[in-house]
Amino acid sequence: MKGFAPLFKKEIRELLKLYRLIIVGSIFLFFGLSAPLTLKYLPDILKMAGDQGMVIQLPVPTAAQSFASYSGDIGQIGALIAVLVTMGCIANELKSGTVVITLSKPVSRSAFVGAKMLAVSLTFLVSLTIASLVCLAYTVWLIQGTAILPYLGLNLLLLLFLVFCLAVTMLFSSLYKSSLAAGGIALGVIIVQGIFSAIPIIGKFMPGKLLSWGTDLLTRTNNQYWWALGITITATGICLYLSQRFLKNRDL
Amino acid sequence: MIAISAKGLSKHYGNVKALDNLNLEIPENVGFGLLGPNGAGKTTAIKLLTGFASPTSGEAWVAGEKVGEGNLAVQSKIGLLPDVPAFYEWMSGRDLMHFIGELHGLPQAENKKRTEKLLELVELKKDGNRRVGGYSRGMRQRLGIAQALINNPEVLFLDEPTSALDPIGRREVLNLILRLRENTTVFMSSHILSDIERVCNMVGILNKGKLITVDSVEGLQKKYARSVFEMEFIEGADAFVDSLKKIPWLVEPALVTENGSPKVTVRAVNAERARKELPRLITESGLTLTRYELTVPNIEEIFMEIMTNGDKK
Repeated sequence: MKGFAPLFKKEIRELLKLYRLIIVGSIFLFFGLSAPLTLKYLPDILKMAGDQGMVIQLPVPTAAQSFASYSGDIGQIGALIAVLVTMGCIANELKSGTVVITLSKPVSRSAFVGAKMLAVSLTFLVSLTIASLVCLAYTVWLIQGTAILPYLGLNLLLLLFLVFCLAVTMLFSSLYKSSLAAGGIALGVIIVQGIFSAIPIIGKFMPGKLLSWGTDLLTRTNNQYWWALGITITATGICLYLSQRFLKNRDL
Repeated sequence: MIAISAKGLSKHYGNVKALDNLNLEIPENVGFGLLGPNGAGKTTAIKLLTGFASPTSGEAWVAGEKVGEGNLAVQSKIGLLPDVPAFYEWMSGRDLMHFIGELHGLPQAENKKRTEKLLELVELKKDGNRRVGGYSRGMRQRLGIAQALINNPEVLFLDEPTSALDPIGRREVLNLILRLRENTTVFMSSHILSDIERVCNMVGILNKGKLITVDSVEGLQKKYARSVFEMEFIEGADAFVDSLKKIPWLVEPALVTENGSPKVTVRAVNAERARKELPRLITESGLTLTRYELTVPNIEEIFMEIMTNGDKK
């Protein structure tokens, strides 16, 4: 991992200079806010929009519903943002040629990939932390009732799933010079595994099952998907290993 | 000491031989110019020698280190200016230099010192805080050279370093390369023959992936000497030219006027004999000689001859 520290420093500076952290953080913040707010004020909004005589009965909102809505939004939109933010990470450098200037110095390919992965993962960790805290605060304030530990578990599982999405996209970004191709294929892989995660027999092995596990934690349903957890971590590691391997074997 | 060595270095893309069996040894502190038309394999040769492409076959050593197989010691000892240098556009020139210094593991104080010194050398000190995205092509080229020098490289690879520069920028870069040659081995590729002639003392000519010839500039000039003698006299030399036409080992004697002054040119079939006998013939003619020269071909003429007729073995 020779050269990791300066490369990581450069990645962090790039995230800040190009406002990536602010953009990702803002989108996550929006979904962190929208879940409890929508749940709380949806009956009022519907009442205002509907006819005077119309009666719409909605169940009393709960903290679990708020967190589940937040998890659903972040799981889907977060995966899409993970692809958008990461698809050009290596591909754009391959295309523009900046990779030649960097890798003509004594730095290893694994440090190059590792620094990018850690920086972009930190972006998602910070964004997710902000969003989860805001969602928690508004849920406590507007809806009442919380389950801190299940909520923490849900966020950890969300983070793992998003890091998996980042690693998959990083892999294709190291394979293709076109960021669109990298992003398109990565999104395809994430969607396909999402579809597979709904199939009973193979679903429990899919990274997408981590999202179900997260919401099951809130409802205290005793479903645990350890296989999905193990496979997600392993697949993330394999994607990163292959990224640096492809970069090593590639003529630049 | 040998700075760059290649043994049977080849790179094939399917049936296309981008570089075919390159064998080369370049001593330390030499300015080596790799000449060749576009698509000859110059960039491929540089990529293979710097570890940016893996060879189909063969091996290379640079500054005593074997190239490839993740050997980062090579990268510590070389500087590289790619043919189209690309930088992180959001960085300033100074930021970029610091970043490159950090990648080389330079201590902070030394990094800053080297950065300022090199920015001054390439005349970018004033523009050091401007974003690289706003730099002209010439400025990028000069920044490219500066970043390649931050580690005091033992071997400097320059891929077409003057291709994008205006005449003034070109002269500056060539002067810079000449200064660098005092302490560094410079491996420079170009298709601008006059640039190579100006800064290199060793030349390799590459065509269709094959190294056709490699020699010192003087060696090539000697090898490709055309045995053409030029003479200038105070008096008219028509009678002398007529007398030369009768000599069997001399061909095409002619009286030509260049820049208003007449001169006699003659090509020798046997250069050695001509060198010995021509001075005697001039003396016997009774003419007053003002200039006598065995013309030396320039790199461009040698290059054109090699491209047309192949190498003289």
